[in-house]
Amino acid sequence: MATKLEPDAAPSGRPLTDDRLKEIYYYLALGRYFDERMEALYRQGRLPGAIYSGRGQEGTHVGVAFALEPDDSLFPTHRDLTAQLTKGLDLNRVMAQFWGRIDGYLRGRDGNSHIGDWYGHRTYAVMSHLPIAYPVAVGAALAYQRKGERRVAMAICGDGATSNGRWHEAINTSAVFRLPVVWVVNNNQFAYSTPNAKEFAVPTIAERAAAYGIPGVRVDGADVLEVYAAAQEAVDRARDGGGPTLIESVSLRWRGHAGHDPAKYVPRELLEHYMLSKDPVKNFETYLREQGVATDDDIDAITARIEREFDEGFAFAQASPFPEPGDVTKGWWVEDGYWTSDPGRGGGTETG
Amino acid sequence: MSTQTVESGAAGHGAEPRGKRDDDGQATYLIAIAEALWEEMERDERVYMLGEDIGVYGGAFKVTEGFIDRFGPDRVMDTPIAEETIVGMAVGSAMEGLRPVAEFQYADFMSSGFDEITTVLSRYHYRAGVPLPVVLRAPSGGGVRASSFHSINPEPWYAYAGGIKIMCPAFPSDAKGLLKSAVRDDNPSMFLEHKWIYRRIKEQVPTEPDFLVPISSAAVKREGTDVSVITYGAMVHKALEAAESLAQRGVSAEVVDLRTVYPYDEETVLRSIEKTAHALVLYESYRFLGIGSEVAAMIAEKAFEHLDAPVVRLAPPNVPVPFSPPLEDAFLPQVADIEAAVDRLAAW
Amino acid sequence: MTSIQMPQLGETIVEGTILKWLKHEGDAVVRDEALFEISTDKVDTEVPSPVAGTVTKILVDEGATVPVGTIVMEVAEEGAPAVAAAPVAPAPAGAAAADAPPAPAAEPVGVVVASSIPAPAAPVSQPAHVAASVPDRGPRSQILSPLVRRLAREHSLDLGQIAGTGTGGRITKNDVLAVIASGGTTAAPAVVTATAPDLGTAEPAAPPAAAAQPIQLGVGDEAVPMTHIRRAIAEHMLASTQATARAWTLVEVNVDHLVRLRERVKDDFERKHGVKLTYLPMVVRATVDALQAFPDVNARLDGENIVRHRLVNMGIAVSYDAGLIVPVIKGVDGMNTVGVARAIADLAARARAHQLTPDEVQGATFTITNPGPYGSVASVPIINQPNVGILSFDAIVKRAVVVDDAIAIRSMVNISMSWDHRVIDGELATRFLARVRQNLETWDFAEDLGL
Repeated sequence: MATKLEPDAAPSGRPLTDDRLKEIYYYLALGRYFDERMEALYRQGRLPGAIYSGRGQEGTHVGVAFALEPDDSLFPTHRDLTAQLTKGLDLNRVMAQFWGRIDGYLRGRDGNSHIGDWYGHRTYAVMSHLPIAYPVAVGAALAYQRKGERRVAMAICGDGATSNGRWHEAINTSAVFRLPVVWVVNNNQFAYSTPNAKEFAVPTIAERAAAYGIPGVRVDGADVLEVYAAAQEAVDRARDGGGPTLIESVSLRWRGHAGHDPAKYVPRELLEHYMLSKDPVKNFETYLREQGVATDDDIDAITARIEREFDEGFAFAQASPFPEPGDVTKGWWVEDGYWTSDPGRGGGTETG
Repeated sequence: MSTQTVESGAAGHGAEPRGKRDDDGQATYLIAIAEALWEEMERDERVYMLGEDIGVYGGAFKVTEGFIDRFGPDRVMDTPIAEETIVGMAVGSAMEGLRPVAEFQYADFMSSGFDEITTVLSRYHYRAGVPLPVVLRAPSGGGVRASSFHSINPEPWYAYAGGIKIMCPAFPSDAKGLLKSAVRDDNPSMFLEHKWIYRRIKEQVPTEPDFLVPISSAAVKREGTDVSVITYGAMVHKALEAAESLAQRGVSAEVVDLRTVYPYDEETVLRSIEKTAHALVLYESYRFLGIGSEVAAMIAEKAFEHLDAPVVRLAPPNVPVPFSPPLEDAFLPQVADIEAAVDRLAAW
Repeated sequence: MTSIQMPQLGETIVEGTILKWLKHEGDAVVRDEALFEISTDKVDTEVPSPVAGTVTKILVDEGATVPVGTIVMEVAEEGAPAVAAAPVAPAPAGAAAADAPPAPAAEPVGVVVASSIPAPAAPVSQPAHVAASVPDRGPRSQILSPLVRRLAREHSLDLGQIAGTGTGGRITKNDVLAVIASGGTTAAPAVVTATAPDLGTAEPAAPPAAAAQPIQLGVGDEAVPMTHIRRAIAEHMLASTQATARAWTLVEVNVDHLVRLRERVKDDFERKHGVKLTYLPMVVRATVDALQAFPDVNARLDGENIVRHRLVNMGIAVSYDAGLIVPVIKGVDGMNTVGVARAIADLAARARAHQLTPDEVQGATFTITNPGPYGSVASVPIINQPNVGILSFDAIVKRAVVVDDAIAIRSMVNISMSWDHRVIDGELATRFLARVRQNLETWDFAEDLGL
């Protein structure tokens, strides 16, 4: 169901060697495993705060992030943690964040998947007012253009966020100035409980790109390679000065909006269809085996690695102390030095 | 980007702002601000400006007239009418090493970018430790018959967000020195230029390229012994006029100009109260929840045993700024109102 | 005649330059025809004529820069006499371009302190905005600002001795500073001790330390701060209770004959002496005698010494609007009943009018309190420091009593005394009260009333 509208350049990028393909699988499986384990912990009452499941959308998240270079920037939402992991964030510190520990990326100032690691991996710390990061992505892209750097900004939002004025402002502005940015919409067909048909009146999101004068492409989020190809093409176009692209990647949100939401508004048949035949992780595993890229041993080794890394991350998070309570008022101003020095490591480590 | 030849300003100026001082070398508040921008743009290539109609047109108030000829359209960037995105662009480009100065055509339109200002700009460093050396500047304030969409004093809204240094200078030299400091500061700032003052007040303004006024420092604009009038913005000039009139009657009013309203200089305020024992807090934003409400509470809390009378506020009522001249004059504190308030306070 | 002004094209514009006159003196103009070109900081434009007519006068040269509102040209309207009329006041909607916003009169630029924009031809209206909220109080001599209190505390000043020159008699900062500068009047020590000065003397310079906790208020509760008189009373009462070993004795007194006496003579008494006859002067006289018979009761404890006073100064507790005050009848032992009556009336009246001098509220050697008029039949008063005893004279009530083994109705009154057991004992106290009773029951007051 790939509907390509006005593609501008042929995809290039680094060739997809077997190793890179297995790397893609690793991130897909990591995203899935992380999602399942964290949900379990949440339901056991051992995970503070909220979880926002990205299950079923791993194809989108890994596909787009895999097309980025280390110094390209990524502006994700709370649901796109797998994309941030694909960009290279450290699972230990990600988990410390969920438990509000000092070694989390935001030193406890924000929690769960509101993560960002700007100086390490150029990802923007997620904010809830979607798509509030879209205009910021415009600014980053503007800086690349201004300084003559061959870097690209990529922003992800969901189908619901496309109703917000900021979405239109940001895309329009990026088109006017022909900025090096890729606009990704993770269309998992439900914005909390609102289905696409109640969110916008056009059949697809991709076709709205024409209204801004930029190319738009719609891809099947269950096929990580299709997503990756579209993303690589868009990233190359931006890097070469060809301006922005809009990518709509279609999947289904398998779980509720957040951990507390049972998502009864998703029709059962639709969910079953997606879980059976449009599971991006399963589909890619099957593809790798069929193509002879990965053996049982390879898959098992990746699985074992993921399980070990998760357990290490969990232990790391539990052992990391809480922030120093007295530091709550620090860090407003650059001059107070909170962020340019080692933080106070407060008392206590509760078990999660 | 192709460059366009630009007519140097509709009024036939178009040269560097310093060429616009009068024959005595005095600069208006507006020209002083333009000089600050020009000098900081010359000093640091990373500084650039963005906003609506600031490039080719030279700005709605002509502050940036002539800039595009000197610095080019990349650094004097005309944007679409999209305030959220203007702020977002400033944030994103600051995160990638530039130092943006974003202009809003009127301070009233900052609320069209409210989310990006209060959710992103104000909080990002606290949350994630990335400095945002962004300056938002806009003409604010009333008294010019421009009614409620072109006269606002928005500083309480944005002071509440935290994380943004907010400046409201009253004099040309202060405006120049503070704006230069704001551009060089690594924190987000909001620089509110009171439009009533733009062309009405002028003085000798320093020309040294490193002339700076420290952020968060207040200044005593008139010394006195009987009552302290703590104020900022256009009200400073009304307070000074009232003080002159009061002096004729033997009442000595001290006028303290906050200059920066968040974070503000408590020390200077407290020292003044210690001297006079009487506090009148005068401000132009609505009386409820204004900057002056904070200052009044602080004085009552920290200077209690120095007070010989209650702390009093004088500010407009909570209604949108009206248009018709008698209505706007009734809305704003006038010189006579300030004098009457000081008299009442001194007689308490 | 129509005057053409320099228009204000833009909120912040204060002046404009005539670039070129398009019409000259003597030229005819039609409405909306361009009269001249101007240049301002924001825009160059033409200014059209608001009327049809003839240009009669050009007042400003080409190239000149004038403030907004300046009259630059005059045009005689068609059909109107070409006579110079009074210039149009610089009101909004002057002869400016049709779209221009109203042009208030401009101030001369270059003046650092700008004047405010005058309202067009209207008198200064009452400001609608809420101005200062300075409270407006009545008699304000009791109001002490935080600064005044602190200065008094730091310099050990007696605020009761400082005259207030502020509104309503308030003691101001300058009043206190003046006292400090002149060497100051200091008072009894600021801290209230067990031998605190008599109630009613100068207010303590140091109010008790304010509680650190905020006041807990229930729904509908109201917190009223204590006046300094109230605080002084509180301190004195507490100190007295803590310092003395207080005991109490009561006797019942048959005052039947006093009641009948008073009924008989009170009108004559008042007519002759100008004051009402109450029972209190008689009680005072009876008590004075008892004090002379038992000098340990007319005493005070000073360290380890019981100091017996030679004279009797009788404190009379007076209730008034600010609380309680005890004026003192000095040398009451030299007065007869009429003298005592006059002294009581005078002191009570001046107490209620806040006109007692400091001398009149200190020096009591014994105190009497008379709550009877309010209806109590027995009271346990707190000793007025540094006295040894305080006598309470309560309500006179008709009671059934036993006389000669038969029930009879008599006017009875309870007279009791709180006394300091450190100085006297129960036997002495009882004998003292018995003496008072005996005096009241047996003396013939009639001959002491000067009738």
